[in-house]
Amino acid sequence: MNVKTTLAAALAASAFAVLPATAQDNIKIGSSLGLTGYGSLTDGHWRDGLEIAIAAVNAKGGVLGKKLELIAEDNKSTPQQAVVVYRKMMSDDKVSAFDSGCISAGNFAAASFVSKAKLPMFLCSILPRQPDEQKWAFSFLPPPKFEVDARYDYLKSKTEVRKIGLLADPSPYSLLMRGIAEKAAAEFGLEVVANETYQQDDSDFSVQIGRINSAGAGAIIMLGQGNAVVTVANNVKNLGLNKILVLGSINERDILVATGNVLGEQFLFPSPLIQLAADDINVITKPESRAAAEPFISAMKAKFGSSDSSMASRAWDSIMMMAAAMKKANATDGTAVRDAFEALGHYDGAGASYDFSKEQHVGITKNPYVMALVKDGKLVLKK
Amino acid sequence: MTSPAITSTRPTIKFDRISVILWIGAAVLFAGVFAYGGYLITVMQLAMIYGVFCIGLNFFMGYTGQASFGQNAFAAIGGYGTAILCVQYNMEPVLALVTSMVVAGVAALVVGYPTLRLRGHYLAMATFALGLITYDISVQWTSLTQGYMGYAGIPPLGIGSYTIEDERMKLVCLTVLALIGLWISQRLRNSRFGRALRAISGSEPGAAALGIKISRYKLIAFVIAALYASASGSLFAHTVGFISPEVFGLHMVVVTFTMLYVGGVGTIAGPLVGAIVASLLPEIVRSTGRFQDVAYAAILLLMLIFAPKGLYAVGDLFRSRKVDKPETRA
Repeated sequence: MNVKTTLAAALAASAFAVLPATAQDNIKIGSSLGLTGYGSLTDGHWRDGLEIAIAAVNAKGGVLGKKLELIAEDNKSTPQQAVVVYRKMMSDDKVSAFDSGCISAGNFAAASFVSKAKLPMFLCSILPRQPDEQKWAFSFLPPPKFEVDARYDYLKSKTEVRKIGLLADPSPYSLLMRGIAEKAAAEFGLEVVANETYQQDDSDFSVQIGRINSAGAGAIIMLGQGNAVVTVANNVKNLGLNKILVLGSINERDILVATGNVLGEQFLFPSPLIQLAADDINVITKPESRAAAEPFISAMKAKFGSSDSSMASRAWDSIMMMAAAMKKANATDGTAVRDAFEALGHYDGAGASYDFSKEQHVGITKNPYVMALVKDGKLVLKK
Repeated sequence: MTSPAITSTRPTIKFDRISVILWIGAAVLFAGVFAYGGYLITVMQLAMIYGVFCIGLNFFMGYTGQASFGQNAFAAIGGYGTAILCVQYNMEPVLALVTSMVVAGVAALVVGYPTLRLRGHYLAMATFALGLITYDISVQWTSLTQGYMGYAGIPPLGIGSYTIEDERMKLVCLTVLALIGLWISQRLRNSRFGRALRAISGSEPGAAALGIKISRYKLIAFVIAALYASASGSLFAHTVGFISPEVFGLHMVVVTFTMLYVGGVGTIAGPLVGAIVASLLPEIVRSTGRFQDVAYAAILLLMLIFAPKGLYAVGDLFRSRKVDKPETRA
């Protein structure tokens, strides 16, 4: 063996020796995301938020002297694939914790073995239902009732409308909200006079809107995300219904703007302040919240331009809180991180304020939504 | 639809050199996954569950030559049946699995009797509607199925105080069950009943002329497929511990069709081969990242182009060459 060969062999050996060491030096955060399938819209934003948050944490030196590393896997919005990718991230990638997307069924399917492995799960979705699984799961999703309450409260306090029509798509989240909307109406002195459904890819809703209007509803409560609301707006305009209010769901910024451009102030929607802050940071008046929001908005604009921010902001918050818990615990093992996270106390984040504790694993306890409208192509607070 | 089941009169489980190599390859693959452990164990578990489903579907689509897009309905009956019986009524998992199979069989009998009078595209549409209806029921009947929230806490398979918690043991158990399903399929295929099914697949008027009661045999094949589907639904529930409507949705129809055609529709081991290949393939191309689906679809396309009768029939290419050689010389 000559000198060159020996050197090459030594270099190759050292390269192989370095590679795993580098990988082990990082703290790996696993994320099961519905990047294809029905969850792709929301989970894509969740991933964006995770990416910029991890970049921001690493830019400040990481956590406990180590870099955070995101391992994101596509669960194709199905529970079967979610089980596979969760297992993969546990056995092959050896992640320290999970920060997963909004596909509830996927997170539920994996919750039993993730909790047995004592790994914390930070979720965009609702919590799994088994008590043993809930001990390891933390939800960053505002309870669905808040979205309904924001609209009902507006109708009750600011308008004379007392009869409403529901227009819902058949997605899991919308069906959940429809049940809530039916029950909650009476609390706000409202009556549901029509209850219509639509398919997300329908190209016309004139029939459903006509039925809601003829039932005497003064407002259409849309329950469902995506661009169907733009079609509804066009149908309402074409039918000449210039008195009926359209109260949309939380949605993508671009879709809200497109809808508002058709209906003007006839279209209102619930929105977290962070979504409005992308146009005007002054809507956030609480200093702690503003301090959390500013770096997030800067990072979003730097990487994604005018990309939507409400979902990503909570993903950002989840990583910031996870990093804070790891620092507080001075460890990255699951039990220590979970216990430290439960003891973090009140946290003002970019997307909302959180109050996690040992007993409270749904972090958002106060309604983060305000009513908003579109004015001059921007999202503004409805006063 | 003509399948190898019709065109071939040779014994279907072959033990020549090519078959032995294939079976040894399968054994090595299984042993490799078993030894490596990790998430590939889960992938293989799901492959075995889908394998059971596809072996059943092969009775109706392969041997009998009919089209069904609604077998996911019976998987849902199996999954929800076993979940409800175990969680709500504390029934033994094995007993719940068998009870769910009986319910699915009766449902297939009731639904199949009028439906199977249809043929071709009409039958395909009717069975597709069956799957959609069952999906909607599983979403809307929340008091029974818990809707999109799904059923959690379903116990693993076991008998009495013995439960199979270990992932490797789960895989062994599922593999044994899939092989039993395969053995039953092989025995039935070569029976008088199986030959009648294959005759129907070849020509319904021809089979009728031979005295085969077409409706009755189609119905029996449909019920057998439903029993297998129900068993696979139950096995999924006991293996994962959670079910929701999405598990038994349109995705299941697409995946199982892919498996059946990749492996070889109408062959005996093809459905199981297809289930394993179609399950492992996405993991092999996982390193392509965002192009994973593109790479997976491209490989599937190549398989279907170069092995249109399925992977299990690939060995026949070599066998036929051997047979052809003397004829060519002559």
